[in-house]
Parts: sequence; structure tokens; C-alpha cells
Amino acid sequence: MSVVTTIDAETGVTAREVNPRKRKIAPYLLIAPAIVMLVVAMGYPLGWQIYTSVHHYGLAQQFGKAAEFVGVDNFTTLFSSSTTWMVVIRSLVFCLVNAGLTLLIGLGAALLMKAVHKAVRLTIQIAMLLAWATPVTAAVTIWIWLFDWHHGVINWVLSHFWPSMVHFNWLGTPLGFYSVATLIVVWMSVPFVAFSIYAGLTQVPDEVMEAAQIDGATAWQRLTKITLPLIRPVLMIVALLQLIWDLRVFTQTRMLQDYQDPLNVDLLGTYIYRMGIGQSDFSMASAFSIFVLLLTIAVSWFYVRELIKEDN
Amino acid sequence: MPSTQETTAQETTTGQLGIATGGPVLKEGVSLRVRRIGKVLLALSGVALALIWAFPVYWMVSSSLLSNTTLGKSTPTWFPSSGTLNNYRTVLADGRFFDALSVSLRVTLLTVFVVLIFAFLAALAISRFKFKGRKGFVLALLFIQMLPAEGLFIAQYKMMANAQLLNSVIGISVLYIAAVIPFTVWMLRGFVAGIPAELEEAAQIDGCSPTGAFFRVTFPLLAPGLVASGVYAFLQAWNEFTVALVIMQEPTSRTLPLWLRAFVEGSRAREIDWGAVMASSTLVAVPVIIFFLFVQGRMTSGLVAGAVKG
Amino acid sequence: MRKKIAAALLAAATVFTMAGCSDDTPTPSGSDTTTKGQDITFWLVGGDTPDSAREYLIAEYNKRTGGTLTIVEQTWGSIITNLTTNMPDANNTPDVTEIGNTQSPTFTNVGAFLDISDMYQELGGSKLLKSFVDVGMVDGKNYTLPYYFGSRYMFYRKDVWEAAGYTEMPKTLADFNAAVVDITTKNPLGITDFSGMFLGGQDWRNGVSWVFANGGELAKLENGQWKMTLSDPNTIKGLQQLQDIQLHASMAPTTAKDQSPWLYINDSDSAVEDDESVTTTALSAATIMAPGWAHWSIGDLVNDERAWNEDKFGTYVLPGNDGKPAPVFAGGSNIGISATSKKVEGAKELLRIIFSADYQQILGQNGLGPANSDYVSALGDDQFAKALIESASNSKLTPAAVGWAGLENSQKLEEFFSKIADGGDVTALAAEYDAILTPLLNQQ
Repeated sequence: MSVVTTIDAETGVTAREVNPRKRKIAPYLLIAPAIVMLVVAMGYPLGWQIYTSVHHYGLAQQFGKAAEFVGVDNFTTLFSSSTTWMVVIRSLVFCLVNAGLTLLIGLGAALLMKAVHKAVRLTIQIAMLLAWATPVTAAVTIWIWLFDWHHGVINWVLSHFWPSMVHFNWLGTPLGFYSVATLIVVWMSVPFVAFSIYAGLTQVPDEVMEAAQIDGATAWQRLTKITLPLIRPVLMIVALLQLIWDLRVFTQTRMLQDYQDPLNVDLLGTYIYRMGIGQSDFSMASAFSIFVLLLTIAVSWFYVRELIKEDN
Repeated sequence: MPSTQETTAQETTTGQLGIATGGPVLKEGVSLRVRRIGKVLLALSGVALALIWAFPVYWMVSSSLLSNTTLGKSTPTWFPSSGTLNNYRTVLADGRFFDALSVSLRVTLLTVFVVLIFAFLAALAISRFKFKGRKGFVLALLFIQMLPAEGLFIAQYKMMANAQLLNSVIGISVLYIAAVIPFTVWMLRGFVAGIPAELEEAAQIDGCSPTGAFFRVTFPLLAPGLVASGVYAFLQAWNEFTVALVIMQEPTSRTLPLWLRAFVEGSRAREIDWGAVMASSTLVAVPVIIFFLFVQGRMTSGLVAGAVKG
Repeated sequence: MRKKIAAALLAAATVFTMAGCSDDTPTPSGSDTTTKGQDITFWLVGGDTPDSAREYLIAEYNKRTGGTLTIVEQTWGSIITNLTTNMPDANNTPDVTEIGNTQSPTFTNVGAFLDISDMYQELGGSKLLKSFVDVGMVDGKNYTLPYYFGSRYMFYRKDVWEAAGYTEMPKTLADFNAAVVDITTKNPLGITDFSGMFLGGQDWRNGVSWVFANGGELAKLENGQWKMTLSDPNTIKGLQQLQDIQLHASMAPTTAKDQSPWLYINDSDSAVEDDESVTTTALSAATIMAPGWAHWSIGDLVNDERAWNEDKFGTYVLPGNDGKPAPVFAGGSNIGISATSKKVEGAKELLRIIFSADYQQILGQNGLGPANSDYVSALGDDQFAKALIESASNSKLTPAAVGWAGLENSQKLEEFFSKIADGGDVTALAAEYDAILTPLLNQQ
């Protein structure tokens, strides 16, 4: 069934003799399945979210009590709370640090892959694939085990250099908590970034680099003046995705918090979750979700703007 | 962590210097030696990077082979020389792993399959056609990706309960498909745009049918892109567990991440059975690793094409 | 594959139409009046209920009604989510469900459970554990009843206490408090990071025992409104004792909760090694407080299983100021019928089975405190049973306030207790958290 559609579509696109009317309808037919899917799966939840964000909706309402319309009250309450702003600031910092580290390490790994012998490159690639392929639930569990304050191997190693680290409780302070969370997030995200950038690097023509070398450009100059500009599209996309993903990081921090929680380390995702599922304050959770959407758009504005421009 | 990253960056620069001095303009012995040392340093840092990245996975597998007595020792056991498969036996004893594996496989395959078709069609539309509402569609795709999922559970449950799709592979797949489509459309857009329509037309002039032209010319060029987006969809569907927690409640309809989570939680109530937990983590990771090694070659070339056309 | 897509599309279409037209809670349809052949679902939380008890319930239910009882095991981590989504949904609600006793007030207050006041006498009446019955009541009506109770008592290392010069356990709370500080200072075995009494900084469930033991409370009902009473003089007194223990007797991380404290009282390296490598012991606490069933996790390692060693380990009930058992925070859970259940008769029959003499005894034989005091003797008379019964004799529950579950989930109590453990000013902190927590208590 699907194949037939595809081919019809293809003919619609490519064959010259297709009449103009068919050409007009074709794109809408092509995007229809995706749109139907999105509307089906997202339509109702999105509507519910908007509805609850302007009503008083808690556990009692979930059990059938009428929900009272409160206008923007939920948003006012939310934004007059200092906790909310702390969560926002923490999440932004966390996102920037994580995305930054991931990009830097990813870029480094990609350059390294390009420069080394094939056998070494393959070793790096396999190691990265292993990390990439490890499901997040398993990954967080491994890292918790590595950092376990009592039996963890990391404390064991560190205690040989700094005896005070013998029972150091990494997840006991916010800083330690975020460090472990950052390690997990970076460890899991670098492979995708490294592979994408490496893929971009392989497309940089050797002749260009050789020419630059003959002209006496240093390695640093070649990197900043030639390589990076050439792979800019990849870097842009990868950066955008990292920003979006790291801003909405949830599974990793939630699992860590389930295990040990130094308190007040909520990021955007866990904060929404705590308000909604945890405290049954669904209005607040919805109102905050809508705000997070706007915040994400703002953070990725550089890309959104480019996207709009490009299309004009 | 920062130190690793610094060394990597440094070595890289040194390495390129090495290549630089050994470039077309040849100087004598000194530069050759520099070049060789650079190469060795680079290779070493490459191996170091690989070791760091692989270590957690190694530790997972190694711990999964050890008994809790061994794991509880104050000195870590670096090589599981006394290893047994006992933990795996414990974990697999009740057969729930295979139920979960079957659910996860079905959900993941259905998601990947549908996503690839729908996303490809949509990508075709936005890269080959100018139409009214195109920009709106592209922006909508981007914004949907940014919507936090943590506030949607209750509504998603209500919707699935009304449609009587709780605990069903199709129900959860519908949610996953919608969650993955935006990004895959985006990814495929670059590939489709990179294949000139003229190629197919040329093939048709050469006597190919439209179908033949598509399969012989366009499809092979597109395959790496489909693999790359397929990998993305695969990972999302395989790893997700917060929506699944709400939708897949029956013990027999649990996906692998839920199974793993229930296992960790059940174990935590008494004393965390790290050996068994690591064994179950390994079991969840293995199918993905196999899948990855399988598509690895194509995936990298897929990312290449995607990257350039971005 | 074609079929699959068609199915997916069909499904998608169904979701779409359904989601479009129907909304909110479906009203429960009229319940059947006969139990004949009713198939019902029962949610148990966690693995505490042993398999033999589950099998008994299924067999007995089938015998009495001819219907099938399906038991679904939920986890404590996701039970709130699943109750929130499923209980209002008549098609997917469990007919009977277990619920944590601190979670019960929140759900009973919003009408999640069926009024079973008419069955109260039949199921045991005043014989049922009162504090648990109370958290299941709203306006004098019974919605949830006790399922089983647990209690908290102490496990201690006889060898360590003796090495520090204590051959007999303290008789009063004040003596105990002083003893654990003394043992910590002496550290007779010279252990790194040694705790005389291991108590996590965020562990309010165990820590609150010192509040209760001094006659303090967490909250009180005043004129229909709940009010936190952390600043009450008795509560303050208990918190100060707790702080003293935290600062001078416990090396537990301030982030530790009540999860698995027994890890620190066992020798984890006691297994015999072939090589003569120096194995330092992982033992790091002389005393811990834990739910009674923790004794399964305490002992020497024999063939990779923990075996209780009477020479090394002992049980001990925290004494109050008067030497009698101090009131501690009770463990355990409640049980009730979902208000949206369509199979009320079957559900009621299940409750009758659960509160029957046979089942109550099965619970007791498995170390779970039976809800009905007539069957407590089924727990046996070993030291664990004795400690359980003795400590439970005076046990308390958290306030039956509508906002309690939300308050627990806000983690403010963990925050408060960990600040106390860090050595903060008790009076000032109590006043601060009274103000923060009181609104949460009454929030619906």
C-alpha cells in the first residue's frame, strides 16, 4: 500500500507531463499521513494542556469535580514563585554546559577520528557505538553503580589519590549531582555529535586542505578558517539538537533523583513531573509546560529565524 | 572530564601539525620524526578516548558476571575471571524478559516502519514542492519537538483509554510515531533535497518505468538517509519509558525499559542486587548494540549525506 | 506488513474520533447485584504479599464466586501515577487496590474510593488497627481499611556494643541517645566513617520517632483545617534529640533516606578469601532502624544468602522516656474498593476473603502484621515477631490530611529533616517549615 503511494507521489513529482492541478494537490497528499498522525497523537493532549493551564485542575477534578476557569492565575502563581525561576536558571545553565561540553568533545573526537589510522578510528567508533546504543535506563543504572558512595569504583580509584574521597557521596550535593548528570548526558550524546561531525569532515575536499597547507596556513588556521566554516551546517544542526535535548533532559535526572536526591535540583522536566504526577497539580504542570515550549523556542531562536529566512 | 577533552583537542592539533609538516613540501628527518611522534600520540589519545567511552559498558558486562559477594568487596574486581552466568539465570528465571523483549521489538519495528514511510513522504513534499502552508508545517514540526512530554501523561492516558488502546502495541506506537516523525522528516529533508529530480527523469528517458527509475536511481541514494533516521526512531522507541509507564501497565505488556525499571525497584526494596541489575541492563542493551553493528556502515554514510545537505 | 499499517491507521482513526467526542470521567454504570462469575482486578503494590497468599486469594475467590481474580503487581514508584489515571476510568480501574497509608487520605478525600462503612463491622470493626482505619476515614465514613501493618525497630551489632562496654541495652530514650553518641566517640573497632546510630539526613520516616517519643506531632486538625505543629515544644524537643544524634552519632549522608540502611550493619566481606588480601570490613554502623522485614537482609553471608547470627546481631525496640516502647511511624498499607468499580459485589467478596481469619493468619505467618488484632498471634513468637508487635503497640501514622500525599511528594519534609541533620537552628527551621507546609496540607 505504502509503496504504491510513494511511487505515485514520485511520478507526480518527476514526470514532466503531469498536469498542474495534480502538482498542486500532491504536496498536501504527501504531508497528510504525517499530519494525521500528529493530530491524532498530539491534538487531544495539547488541547487538554491548554485547557488545564487556564483552569483549576487537581486530583479532585481528575475524579470528576468541575474545573473552575481561572484565566491566567496559574501563570501568575507560577511566575511569582522563586522556585520556578531557580529551576529555569538552573536548567539554562545545565543545558548550556552540557551542550557546550558535548559539542567540544564531539568535535575533538571527530577531528581525532579523521586524523588517526584506520584501526584506531574503528576502535573509537565501536566504543562510541557502544555508548550510543546503551539504553538510557541501563546507562543511568551503570553510572549510579560506578558512583555509588559506598561500593562504587570511582570512589575507590579517587581514594588512592585523595583519601577523603573514600566514601564521598556524589549525589549528596547539588554540584555533585549535576556533575554526575552531566557525565551521563555527555557520555550518551557525544557519539551522535562525533559521528555527525565526522561525517561532515569526510566531505571536506582534501585538495582544499592541501592548498591551504602549501599556502602556509597553520593547523589552527586551517581548522578555524576552512574546516569549521565548511561544516557549519552540521555544527548548526547538531548544536540546535543538543540545546533542545539538553534543555528538556528528564529521564537521566529523574532516575538519579529516584536513587538519591540532594533536594532542589529539579530541572524543567522533573519540575513539571513533580507538580503534575507528584503533587497532582495538573494546572501548574500544564502552565509550566507551555512556558517551557516558549523558552525552548527562544533558546533556539537563532535557528528558527534562519529557517524562516531561508524559506522566503 | 574536562582534562580528557583538553588532551583530545591538543593531540588533535599536534596531529594535524604532524600531517602539515609531512605535507607536500617535504623537509628532512626532523619533520619525519615529528610526524611519526605526532601519529603515535594521536593514536594513543584515540585509544584513550575509546577506553573511556567503552569503560562503563565494560563495567556493566563485567559486573553482570560477578556474585554480589564479590561486588560488595572493598576492592573492585577488574576482570571477571571468577565470573558465572548465575545473574542471568536469576534474571531470566520468570520469563518476563522475553515477554518484554517481544513487546519492545514489536513496538520498535512498527514505529520505525511507519515513521520511515510517513516521514519520507512529508520530506518529499517539503523539499520538492513549494506550497502554501509549507513554512507553517516546517515550523510546526520544529515546535512539536520542543514540547515537554512530562505534562502530557494524563491526557495521553485518557485518550488511549477511550480508544481502548491501553496495553496495546498499536496504542503506544501511535504515540511514539508522532513523537519521532518531526525529527525524521527534518533529517530526511536534507537527503531528498540532495537527490536531483533530473536523475530520475534521465532514467525515465533511458527507458525505465517511473517505478523502475525510483527503485534504481532514487532509492539507493536515499537508503543511507533512511537508515540514519531509522536508527533515530529505533532508539527513541526502544528507550522510552515514561509514556510507557502510563500506557503499558499490564505486566505482560511491559516494554524492556519498564521491565528493567521494575526489576531495579523490586531489587531496591531489599538490597540492590547489583549483579542482577547489571545483567538485566546488559540484556536490554544487547539487541540495540547488535542492531547498531549491523547498520553501522550505512549509518555513517547516512550521516555524511545528511550532514552536508543539513 | 500491509495489514499492520491498515491496523495502525484504523487504530489512529479510532483514537482520533474517540478523543474528539468523549472526555473526562465516564460515570460508573449500575453495579451488578450478584457476584456470580464476576471477574475482578486487584492491585497489589510491591512484592510484600507472598505468592502463597496471592494463590490463596485467587483460589478462594474462584471458589466463592466462580469468577476470576486477577492480581496485578504495581510498584511503589508508579502507584500514584497509575491510581491517578486509572481510578477515575471505569473501564480500567482496579476493583480493589492496595494504597500506601500516607497516600490514602488524598485519594479518599477526592472520592476515589467506595464508601464501605456498611461492611466495617462485618470485616472486623473495632478489632481493626485504629490508626490505619483513621487514615481511611472521611467525615466519619470508612473508605479504606488496613491491609497489613509493619513497624520499625532497631537492629544492632552485639559485638560492637559490647566492645564499647554496653552489655545491656539502654532502658530509656535518653540513655539510648547518650549511648549511641558514646559508641561513636569510642569507635571500638576503629572503622572509617563509623556511626553509632546510622540515620540518613533525609530519613524523616525513622527520624520522626524521636518527635513522637517526646509527645510531639507533625500536624493537628484545628477547626476543620490542618496545621503543622513543628514548633510545638514537644516536637522541638524531639527534633533537638534527633539533631544531636545526626551530628554526633550518625555518619550517614545527609541525602540518605530510609532505603536499605542494613547495608551498613552487615560485614560484606565476611566470605572466606583464598588469597590473603587484606579485606577491610564494610561494617560502618552499630545500630540502624528499619522495618521489621529488614531482618531477611541482615546477617552473615552464607552461600550468598544472609543468615541471621544471634551472637552478632540483636533486635531492640526504641524505648520512650518512660521506658515503654516509643511511638514509631508505622509501616504498612490500606486497601479499598474503587468508586468507579462496576463489580462492587465481587470486590466486596474479595474484602471478606482478605479480612477472613484464614487470610489474616496467612499474612501473620509471613511476617506481615494482620489488620485484625485477633490474629496478631499468627506472627509467631520469635524475637522479630515480638519486636514487631511491641513496637507497633504504640505506633502512629502521618496526619490524615487531604494534602498529605502532595506534601510528601513536594519533598519539603526531606528538606526540613536534612537541614536539622546539618545542624541548623531547630526553632527557626520549625517555624519556617510550619509556614511553608501548612498550606500544602490543606491543598486539594
